[in-house]
Amino acid sequence: MTTGVEPPEFDLTVRAKVRERYGPAAAGGDSCCGSGSCCGASGASSCGDSLGYSAQELSALPEGAFLGLGCGNPTALQGIAPGESVLDLGSGAGVDCFLAARRVGDTGRVLGVDMTPEMVARARDNARKGGFGNVEFRLGEIEHLPVADRSVDVVISNCVINLAPDKGQVYREAFRVLRPGGRLLVSDLVATRPISAEARRDLERWAGCSSGALSTEETNERLRTAGFRDISIVRRSLETTPATLAPADELGVVPVGIVAVRPVQVPVP
Amino acid sequence: MKPDLMEILCCPLCRADLQLTTRKTEGPEIVEGVLTCTKCGTEYPIEDGIPNLLPPDERD
Repeated sequence: MTTGVEPPEFDLTVRAKVRERYGPAAAGGDSCCGSGSCCGASGASSCGDSLGYSAQELSALPEGAFLGLGCGNPTALQGIAPGESVLDLGSGAGVDCFLAARRVGDTGRVLGVDMTPEMVARARDNARKGGFGNVEFRLGEIEHLPVADRSVDVVISNCVINLAPDKGQVYREAFRVLRPGGRLLVSDLVATRPISAEARRDLERWAGCSSGALSTEETNERLRTAGFRDISIVRRSLETTPATLAPADELGVVPVGIVAVRPVQVPVP
Repeated sequence: MKPDLMEILCCPLCRADLQLTTRKTEGPEIVEGVLTCTKCGTEYPIEDGIPNLLPPDERD
């Protein structure tokens, strides 16, 4: 199970495939779990619930902000305080940015970065519709963040890092932009059994949030190597696997909540 | 984009500060302009209010 060691052309092909898949998904966001999502074709009404969003949270958001493309609710993993600055890696149509924006309030701010132009345009429209003055979006890549060192308090991400060819690079970038003491709050997928080389090369499955996933141990190792400490990777307890996560489930890929801290003191390797 | 977020932005390639050139505004928003890296000189366009900070080889 290796990723991040593939040749550069593989990285570029993965990114092109992910954009190809999620560009159209931005336009078709009225129902959750469309064909472009991580989700299956069903489960629209219960999608938010099964992903960990409360009906109250979602009802307060602009229509079309929630596309059902995530695999959890990263803003619920740990407290986000008023006045904090939050960065969302792979912000999509903006759902998690808007939830974070409510928590940080007028004195805080939220920045969403996504590499799909259609998604960023849609997120910006949603911010205007919802009157979110403290949220902004940028076209950017999560392995090369356009964000200054030590400039944010919290980095969130929802079912996106598994899509990145080099997860270690994503975690190094998240570490770089966090202030000492800052937190990483991630909903993502991990593999519970080895993923074959053939599945890894299957770009459809990779872009569908399954075959790019690392194991818990590999995720932990990449976080530690990036410098994070107080790492917890907790499998989300689900009574049944929702249809939304069925394609990942076939490969033994399950949703987890990841919390990690950039230590105030420089960690001893 | 609003100019007050400039302070946390940087060049995705060399991580140096960016300099803002505004070409068109709508209220507090900059809708057209350019962000130029103060170190490597790479230019990042702002179009329809959205700064494109993808590395140049990743742009369409």
